[in-house]
Amino acid sequence: MTVLRRWWAPSHPAQLLLGLTLWSLWFVVLYGGLSVACALAPPRPGQGAFTAINGGLALLTLATLALLGWLAWRGLRAGGVSVGGSRFIALTGAGLHLFSAAGVAFVGLPIVTLPPCL
Amino acid sequence: MSETMRPSPEAERLHREMEAVWGNPRGWRGLFSVVNHSTLGLRFMATGLVFFLLGGVLAMLVRTQLALPDQAFMSPEIYAQVTTMHGTVMMFLFAIPMLEGLAIYLIPKMIGARDLVCPRLTAFGYWCYLFGGIILFASLLLEMAPDSGWFMYTPLSSGEFSPGRGSDFWLLGITFVEISALSAGVELTVSILRTRAPGMALHRMPLFAWYILAMALMIVVGFPPLILGSVLLELERAAGMPFFTVAGGGDPILWQHLFWLFGHPEVYIIFLPAAGIVSTLIPVFAGRPIVGYGWVVAAILITGFISFGLWVHHMFTVGIPQLAQAFFSAASMLVAVPTAIQVFVWLATLWLGKPRMSLPMLWVSGFLVIFVCGGLTGVMLALVPFNWQVHDTHFVVAHLHYVLVGGMFFPLLAGVTYWLPLVTGRMPSERLGRLGFWLTFLGFNLTFLIMHWTGLLGMPRRVYTYDSAMGWDLYNLISSIGGFMMAAGVAVVLVDLLLHGRYGRSAPRNPWGADTLEWSLAMPPASYNFASLPRVEGRHPLWETPTLGDEIARGEHARPGAAHGRRELLGSEALTGRVREVIHLPGNSLLPLYAALCLAVVCVSLLARLYPLALLGLAGAGVLLLRWSWENGGHRRAAPLGHDEPEAPPLHSRTADGPGRWTMGVALLADGAFFLSLLFGWFYLWTVSPEWQMPSRSPLSLPLLLASGAALTLGTLWLERRVAALKRGREAGLALALSAIAALGGLHVALLVMALLGAGLAPTATAHDATLLVGLAYLLGHGGLAAVLAALQAWRAGLGLVGARLPFEPGVVALLWRYQLGVYWILAAAMALLPRLTGAGP
Repeated sequence: MTVLRRWWAPSHPAQLLLGLTLWSLWFVVLYGGLSVACALAPPRPGQGAFTAINGGLALLTLATLALLGWLAWRGLRAGGVSVGGSRFIALTGAGLHLFSAAGVAFVGLPIVTLPPCL
Repeated sequence: MSETMRPSPEAERLHREMEAVWGNPRGWRGLFSVVNHSTLGLRFMATGLVFFLLGGVLAMLVRTQLALPDQAFMSPEIYAQVTTMHGTVMMFLFAIPMLEGLAIYLIPKMIGARDLVCPRLTAFGYWCYLFGGIILFASLLLEMAPDSGWFMYTPLSSGEFSPGRGSDFWLLGITFVEISALSAGVELTVSILRTRAPGMALHRMPLFAWYILAMALMIVVGFPPLILGSVLLELERAAGMPFFTVAGGGDPILWQHLFWLFGHPEVYIIFLPAAGIVSTLIPVFAGRPIVGYGWVVAAILITGFISFGLWVHHMFTVGIPQLAQAFFSAASMLVAVPTAIQVFVWLATLWLGKPRMSLPMLWVSGFLVIFVCGGLTGVMLALVPFNWQVHDTHFVVAHLHYVLVGGMFFPLLAGVTYWLPLVTGRMPSERLGRLGFWLTFLGFNLTFLIMHWTGLLGMPRRVYTYDSAMGWDLYNLISSIGGFMMAAGVAVVLVDLLLHGRYGRSAPRNPWGADTLEWSLAMPPASYNFASLPRVEGRHPLWETPTLGDEIARGEHARPGAAHGRRELLGSEALTGRVREVIHLPGNSLLPLYAALCLAVVCVSLLARLYPLALLGLAGAGVLLLRWSWENGGHRRAAPLGHDEPEAPPLHSRTADGPGRWTMGVALLADGAFFLSLLFGWFYLWTVSPEWQMPSRSPLSLPLLLASGAALTLGTLWLERRVAALKRGREAGLALALSAIAALGGLHVALLVMALLGAGLAPTATAHDATLLVGLAYLLGHGGLAAVLAALQAWRAGLGLVGARLPFEPGVVALLWRYQLGVYWILAAAMALLPRLTGAGP
């Protein structure tokens, strides 16, 4: 637990990887989840984008966005009060969390417009 | 040394003392047993240059064939071999090894270290590269080269449509070469994280080291999917296991996924070190620090991650749902953002500085123009409708070359001309260099800018000729002329490289006015790099302390000399650069050569289908690698316990967390990527393959799997307890306990073998059984290795080479046990439990 708590601190180098790792996990679940859902229970073609699959993926996307946004805000706040290497890690980490959030929003946008399995 | 450097008597004495310990052996033995990073880095680059020239000749053959319509210069069969080998040689035998060689040569010098952290692994990697490259290229001379394209798509590359040995050469040769890439990836990662100069915290690290760190980690994670794909395809071709054959429950699209999971990151693995060269050179020639260091670090990390989320854009035409295509299309556009950040940072640095247009900067300028164009056509290709239109045309070939030649070759030559004085002590010729640049730049654009039009007019790639009525004649002729012009440019550059050693002007110290540590060294550098190890307090050590080189040579910094006879580095904390331990390195050795030779025997035997000999070679390699691991820690040829050893900081083998533990951790990351690819393959075939046959009952015995897992769990927990006790200084009964743990490992393997034998698998009949067999073989290999390593630890504990004063090694072995525990239960759940729970059978 001590190790996890240390890694969780905004000035730990793991924060440089956390945001993009979350983006990657979200992306894998998004693509993998879509593929499995389409293989198991594809919706009727006429339903367009208003399907349970799109809804599930949208919820996942919003939750990931919220988490990344919070992590970015936390990093920015920590960067403001620290110096040297800690400040560098906290601010760069915050930037990476922000980019990851933007990446989630941009890549996830087609969920609201396209049918899932066509 | 160049004439401008006049060492003091003290520096000369120190040099002799260090050279006696660090120097390369002379004669034939020296040729084969060298482990020094400078020598091996240069060997990597020289070998890469040879393969580049061979690949270039193949390119010229292609351009000769396509220069005019309806030519019979080459038969279609030979043309297919030549194009396949051109791509393969350039990607696998030139680009990656060349950049690895550059990193191997430069990284220790830039971070203030005397060598890489695993010198024998550097040598092993080089020999694997050399032998693998020779085996692969020999196929062309034997006229049995691979001919299915450098991406070897199935079913074209499968046994049915490629019955010859060509695909086998590719699969086995490339896997062999990839061992080399992975070796370099692992040791570069650990070296950068754990052997930086005292005080060189992460935020003070040279940007080049950030780029190489990202490249190394991307190799570690990105290459295993292709290794798995190659293993599966070779098993299909040699043993008939139908992983990619629909009728047997496989799927040819699985190959595309595995290949591009590697293949797209590969482009960035090549681009990132090259961009690192650009980010190193631009501040030097602009005469000011880079603008936005943190932005560049963020851009590197973003590229490293996002580039793994683009692979499906190579597969837009295989029939993937629109929504999934949109995800990958968006991600493909997203990756342009970090590249744009870097381009703007470079431009801003030039804008705010006072740029000098020296020869290296000319190549950097060429890079900027070409790579930005290549990036823009990349964004065009990310758009699905456009991608469909130009798929498999020369437009894609042109884009690929703009990105790879622009993004790698031009920066590489910028780097070569920049660091040449460091390697030889002499300056390149400005006149020849400029002539070479302009011929290359104009020739390149003539070839590939025009090729965009050829592609837009519909000319498909990999066709050996075309009809005049298609209207492609003029464009192809211009491309061919450009190709030969570029070849002439490369020839001029080569002439400069060859002549400058004799006729080049002697280089003054730090000739470009650079800021990084490598320019504090002698030119050429001594075998040990730094006579004493400097403390670094800023990002630009030579701008901050211009006299640093003399101070280092006079031994005024940490750990000067080597009277103790050990090759020593300072081990530092990954984040802060605070010194933690003194790392002692092994010396010159023939073991890496012998181990690589055994693997070459495996490779050739598999090609010749001599399986008993292949097994013998594999066993030989295993024994040699274990023998290699024996000379470690407190071994008398490593660092025997004695009175002359340092206490603060201690030698790494006297601690519980030396670099070997990190090396094992990073190696397991690569192993984990292989494992996840296997898991992906299992679930992919299960859910997507149209003819997948899941039996109604799992053939694996659940009780046997549970018993085997229990033995493994018990052994792992016990080993962890002993490692914890060792850290507290308790060593009573260690050898006995380690023997019992090894026995538990043996029991785990024996029970797994029983489960395998009892399953009655038919791996040539169904992809299900074949995948199950590969999964079990993976577990057996790792379980066996874990048991053997524990047994060796027991033996070493009995000999006093492991104990309370030498607690290092069991912790390294425990990582492997922990890993095996994780993958065992995951695989058991995925392959034996989940099918039972879901009732997936017919």
